[in-house]
Amino acid sequence: MNRSHHADKATGVGDPQCFKGEAGPAKFKAGDRVRVKDLPDIFYTRTMQYCRNVVCEVVIATHESPAAEDEAWDNCDNPEWFYIVRFKQQDLWPEYPDTYSNDTLQTELSERWLELV
Amino acid sequence: MANNTIEAGKAAAAAIDTSSIEVLEGIRDKGRVWEDLCEQYGVKNPTPPWKMSLEGMCDALSEANCALPPVERRWEEDELSEELYLDVPFPERQLLALAHSMIRRNLVDENELAERMKIVDKRLNMV
Amino acid sequence: MAEKHNHDHNHAPMVEEISDFEVLEIAVRELCIEKGLFTIDDHRQFTEYAHNIGPLPAARLVAKAWLDPEFKKLALEDGVKASLEVGIDWITSPPTDFGTPSDYCDLRILEDTATTKHVVVCTLCSCYPRPILGHSPEWYRTPNYRRRIVRWPRDVLSEFGVNLPEGVNVRVEDSNQKCRFMVMPMRPEGTEGWTEEQLTEIVTRDCMLGVALPHPDRKHNAKRPIHKAINPVHGH
Repeated sequence: MNRSHHADKATGVGDPQCFKGEAGPAKFKAGDRVRVKDLPDIFYTRTMQYCRNVVCEVVIATHESPAAEDEAWDNCDNPEWFYIVRFKQQDLWPEYPDTYSNDTLQTELSERWLELV
Repeated sequence: MANNTIEAGKAAAAAIDTSSIEVLEGIRDKGRVWEDLCEQYGVKNPTPPWKMSLEGMCDALSEANCALPPVERRWEEDELSEELYLDVPFPERQLLALAHSMIRRNLVDENELAERMKIVDKRLNMV
Repeated sequence: MAEKHNHDHNHAPMVEEISDFEVLEIAVRELCIEKGLFTIDDHRQFTEYAHNIGPLPAARLVAKAWLDPEFKKLALEDGVKASLEVGIDWITSPPTDFGTPSDYCDLRILEDTATTKHVVVCTLCSCYPRPILGHSPEWYRTPNYRRRIVRWPRDVLSEFGVNLPEGVNVRVEDSNQKCRFMVMPMRPEGTEGWTEEQLTEIVTRDCMLGVALPHPDRKHNAKRPIHKAINPVHGH
């Protein structure tokens, strides 16, 4: 990925700051229960297999940016909102012990990967 | 191991040819690694003097163009680190993996690298 | 190569030979520059940047947050702004003026509490908050750590010497996008009345990754076992 084509708009401003305001209103908010969609990977993804189809809670909307899957192909025209989401470990791993049922895992996903449950 | 993105990364990296490269094998076999040099000379620096330059190279490669995208370079480094260069200490391993990736992607030619090493070696050892 | 004999007792020991690895690095770099893969200037700037980063600013940020509730609030709300107060500008410190290629400009600080212990990983490729924390340690980069910490965090933490008391939950943060994370551990007992400098000294890099707990007697990261093969593989 060549980032120099958005050097102009990002210089002195930062990446992802340079995409601020481009994604429109955030679809999700803190507290929303969402499921991670299992979208087909054309080639490149930053949505780990381990969280596909798992339900989680939105913690916070972080920033606007092109989705990783678009940015990998230099397609920066449609930034979307990114969210930190929180999973119960027991929902991710079948063998995760009941003793630690309050253990969680957080990661960051872009809007296209999430749907309300 | 359950299907996760490290495995997906490995699959992508496995597309790269991880069979050994002669010039790099030569270095791996007879090159002196930093931890051995430190022990011999009583030096305490945890990292070799070229480590920061290597970091600079990885950043410069990421920034400049798509020739070697950073995430793919890392996946290839993972793959090579677990197989071919398993017994090499860390910074040396990272360096070998980078050279390996570049050769396999035809960014640098193996013979050209061997020749250049001879020239550099001569230059550095001229007293 | 001529031997050098050093008769000055104050002279620090030096490695007095050039390894093949040193030669390899130079050879690769020269070829890259000649082929236009990057410029000598870009390389020099990134190398200088690599020299200048380290964990001290992050440690100072944690110490400041421990001492000043207002700063702590800022740190948890806006990590990039808080970084400025320890001299780190995520946007312009790196050579590009818009963040480095692998670090971006969105630092988030994870606050450990009496009931939540955080630990950081990047399963995809070992992304790391370099501008404020310096270079990632080897163990952080290994597939071994990356695979296991998400799935068996308590086992891995135990291997790092961290055994959590009952009632403390573990929260793993997998930094897979542009946000970068560091942990703000809890201030340990036995540090009452300490200055910012004193507190900074005990906030080690490993504490800020979540694999160590700060302790008044500990100023260094523990030595981690290096992943070296017992029976090295020679050829295939």
